[in-house]
Amino acid sequence: MKKYICPICGYVYDEEKEGIKFDDLPDDWKCPLCGAPKNLFKAEAIEVVVSEEDDEEELREMNYGEISALCSSLARGCEKQYLEEESKLFTKLANYYKSKSEIKESSSFEELVSKINNDLETNYQKARSVASEKEDRGALRVITWGEKVTMILKSLLEQYKNDKDFIKNTKVYVCDICGFIYVGDEKPEICPVCKVPSFKLLEVERGA
Amino acid sequence: MSEVRAVRNLRICSKDCLCLYVCPTGATDTETGQIDFSKCIGCGACSKACPSGAISMVPYQYPKQQTKDDLVIAKLNKLIQSKVEQEQMAEYIYKNSNDSIEKQLAKAIIRANRLMTEDLYREAGFMLPQSKNTKDFLKNLLQQTKDETLKKDIEKLIDLLDFNE
Repeated sequence: MKKYICPICGYVYDEEKEGIKFDDLPDDWKCPLCGAPKNLFKAEAIEVVVSEEDDEEELREMNYGEISALCSSLARGCEKQYLEEESKLFTKLANYYKSKSEIKESSSFEELVSKINNDLETNYQKARSVASEKEDRGALRVITWGEKVTMILKSLLEQYKNDKDFIKNTKVYVCDICGFIYVGDEKPEICPVCKVPSFKLLEVERGA
Repeated sequence: MSEVRAVRNLRICSKDCLCLYVCPTGATDTETGQIDFSKCIGCGACSKACPSGAISMVPYQYPKQQTKDDLVIAKLNKLIQSKVEQEQMAEYIYKNSNDSIEKQLAKAIIRANRLMTEDLYREAGFMLPQSKNTKDFLKNLLQQTKDETLKKDIEKLIDLLDFNE
């Protein structure tokens, strides 16, 4: 008998208590708390430590897309401090640099998935091991949230590949704090990743 | 000048209006619902009287940015670079698709990546808009741009923000 854990919200499926083997659950079974699909669940296991090679990043200039994101982040920071004028100016800068940032020459969801896999298999692991070593709990926090959101992105793109209409008859929400995407008719009471109350989960409308 | 001022969270405010009765300067009574910072003397009476906990006292000068390890920043920057590219890829898909469901999914992915990048920047040394890091970033931006309107906006920001280092 094993336990299976939801990587998004931490829900534990205990085979002993449930009386049904996890493998025997239907493929479309979802986490009862946050709706994460069955294939994301992991059996309770010992964590694997990834060895750290030396790959110092070279210093480089920020590109327009990065400048835009930093400005929109600072706009939020000002908004939180009720600095309305400063927030508007940062948003203006963010929009300016976004309009200048180049859009990749042709792109597809497949290419996106390969980037996501690289984040999950390499970038998050490396970032986590350095942040743990340096005892930077703030960095560990952003890594934990981001990794979960990235897992959900991957699973949504996989579902889309299998069924292009999987969101047709339901709704899509994005958590305005951590970026978690929730697909379902009714929002969960709190964001399963960052635990913010549901009013911060904003619906993404479908255009014409 | 006082070191703190009152701010009101309008979402929590239950309109019991005790702040209006206790404020000695009338700073809490405004048409926008936000406190008039030019009148607030930072006495904290409104915050103590508020039954819904909607008013907080915040400092004018925020503490310095926490020092971040260079290697941690490097690893977070690596993630930032990847998320920005993913946002741009999703943007391409969004702009070139005619399918409303594909567009909706792309839009959600654009938003999710932007939010993750913003959050990563907060932990990579840019938590506070008033920090030295932000100041250096803005000054650098000012030097690089040739756009006159943009220059004015950046200069205004540098002028408005109360940098703490």
